[in-house]
Amino acid sequence: MNLLRHALAIARKDLRVYFRDRTGMALGFLLPLVLVAVFGFMMKLFVGQGDAFSRATLWVTDQDRSDASRDFLAALRQAETLKVRPAADESPVDETKLRQDLTDGELHHALLIPAGFGAKIAAHELPELRLLRDPDRAIEEQLISIGVMQAAIGTLGPDFADALTTRMLERAGIPAEWRTRTQALAKGFAGSVRLLFEERDAAERGAEQPAEEPEAKLGVNDFLGQVVPIVHEDFRPPERPKQMTYMLAHSVSGIGVMMLMFGLVACASQLLRERESGTLPRLLAAPMPRGAILWGKYLFALAIGALQLVLLFGFGAIVFQLDVLRAPVAFLVVCLAVLLAVTSFGMLIAAWAATTKQAEGLSTLVILVMSAVGGAWFPLQAFDPPMPVQIAMRCTLTHWAISSYQALFWYGQDLSNGSLQLSLSVLLGFTVVATITARWLFERRYVGR
Amino acid sequence: MAAPPLLAVDALHYAYGERIAVESATFSIREGEIFGLLGPNGAGKSTTIRCIAGLQLAPRGAMHLRGQPFAPASTPSDRASIGNVPQELALYDELTARENLDFFGELQGLDAPARARASERGLALAGLVDRADDRVTTFSGGMKRRLNLVIGDLHAPALLLLDEPTVGVDPQSRNHLFESLETLRREGRTILYTTHYMEEAQRLCDRVAILDAGRILACGTPAELAQGAGTPGADLETVFLKLTGRRLRDS
Repeated sequence: MNLLRHALAIARKDLRVYFRDRTGMALGFLLPLVLVAVFGFMMKLFVGQGDAFSRATLWVTDQDRSDASRDFLAALRQAETLKVRPAADESPVDETKLRQDLTDGELHHALLIPAGFGAKIAAHELPELRLLRDPDRAIEEQLISIGVMQAAIGTLGPDFADALTTRMLERAGIPAEWRTRTQALAKGFAGSVRLLFEERDAAERGAEQPAEEPEAKLGVNDFLGQVVPIVHEDFRPPERPKQMTYMLAHSVSGIGVMMLMFGLVACASQLLRERESGTLPRLLAAPMPRGAILWGKYLFALAIGALQLVLLFGFGAIVFQLDVLRAPVAFLVVCLAVLLAVTSFGMLIAAWAATTKQAEGLSTLVILVMSAVGGAWFPLQAFDPPMPVQIAMRCTLTHWAISSYQALFWYGQDLSNGSLQLSLSVLLGFTVVATITARWLFERRYVGR
Repeated sequence: MAAPPLLAVDALHYAYGERIAVESATFSIREGEIFGLLGPNGAGKSTTIRCIAGLQLAPRGAMHLRGQPFAPASTPSDRASIGNVPQELALYDELTARENLDFFGELQGLDAPARARASERGLALAGLVDRADDRVTTFSGGMKRRLNLVIGDLHAPALLLLDEPTVGVDPQSRNHLFESLETLRREGRTILYTTHYMEEAQRLCDRVAILDAGRILACGTPAELAQGAGTPGADLETVFLKLTGRRLRDS
């Protein structure tokens, strides 16, 4: 009780000191909001227009099991923009399971190769594919479209061009009796034009980039829809607000977590300021357990962090329709876990550093690296980065904090979900280890030297 | 049987790695006196004060307060007997004088009414009643020094430790500080005072100990020290230089 009473007194004093500097306080609270707004609006602008970043995960189920469908699946696996699941050495997954996982938000894109796929190709017809998708994951769909098109062209070979021409002519309303002649004419014309382009490319290769073709302005999905018939079926958790995009949800949580880390390291650095301003000896000489000083700073940082989160998610809810109260208990638990972990991180930095400059330098470096690697700036979690990057990502506090918020805001999960439980466990584990280490460092550096 | 001294320090030893800061320091402080701890730079004065304040744990030696074992570094309740006035200004500039007093009073375990009374008394002693609700950042160096002093005395400790309290203080504030200390002495407070300024020690201290290179060279009233140094009637500065030499001390 004595420790808590003194810790509370120190926390109250720090809060009073903090709120006295109105400009500093305003900057501390406004900066995260400005960054969230800027990133959020930028992501809103650019979503759906991004180029390929990496590989997108595409789950595939082959319902045809013909030679042609197996070739197509093999071609999909070769596509540079795709990571096809299940992998060749994994057990196949059926349509029911894929639909369930899509509904649960566990996966975002699944391609069904329907029965009769091989027979249609044998009949020189374009087979119809079915893509089950999360419609708000637009960037990944660009990658998937490119990969499916590459695989389709590679698998169908020369017959594909004929089938495509037939389909185009059908769509253009050309009568069947004209098609054979039109196709022959088109083949000859296309061949001549291709030759002209090949000659020009050979002459100019390496000298300058080819001019942008008008077709490039078409969306990849539009073009894909013309050449490979795909029926789309959308899966979106019912709770997800329509205004929201994945990138937006990511921006709010990613930038929020990053700024929370900066804010709370600054709060924890009050410990160093006590030393540098000469007030620490007076605190250490007070008749209270020395740990009260550390816990006082902890409570102070927690209070400021809680206020920051309230403002941040309030802003997100009002401006970006972030549904923070969909699962209020889960939201509070996640906020608490993130707050504890980030505060412990701040205390660890403050207890380790000998001066405020050291703390600022180290924390800036660590926070920026963790933010970049942990996906606070760009949603690495949504793609399939190389294994070393995945390992590095999972070693960061930011990754687990962002994953927790994404689980709530994007995937509509609650506390019963295993992946959310894992994220929370990692955050709490980090809190325990960081707090114990901070306490040990505090005793070593501040007490009894 | 004579009453035990307020504080008895026996063979206190402290080293920073290989460098010995205090070596077998033995002295005692009586109830109600102002005891001066004098010494050149690096003599071990601040280390001795830090050990008494409980900021450092001396690996060897013992301390007794009113005859009872005294271990402030490891026993929080023992620290309640000490009022520490560090050499640096230990104040929060963003808070007002009253808020500073209230905060440190709370850390000393005073309840709200006791804090209010102690704060009013402290403000009066520091001559800051009119500026009680101004932020410390607006105070002059002398005002800060005075506030720094009364914060240490808020809880009426058995022993008040003052580590060079007049560094960087103008003559008016220094004089006010001396008057405050004399007021405290009249109230029966016991004070351990370190300083470089011999005239301060001469004016304030009942007894002094001269410390050099971590060792106590002499201890007694100024007159006793002059007698012991073979310079009867000499002032403290003469005695000090005779005992510690004229070699410059840079650490």
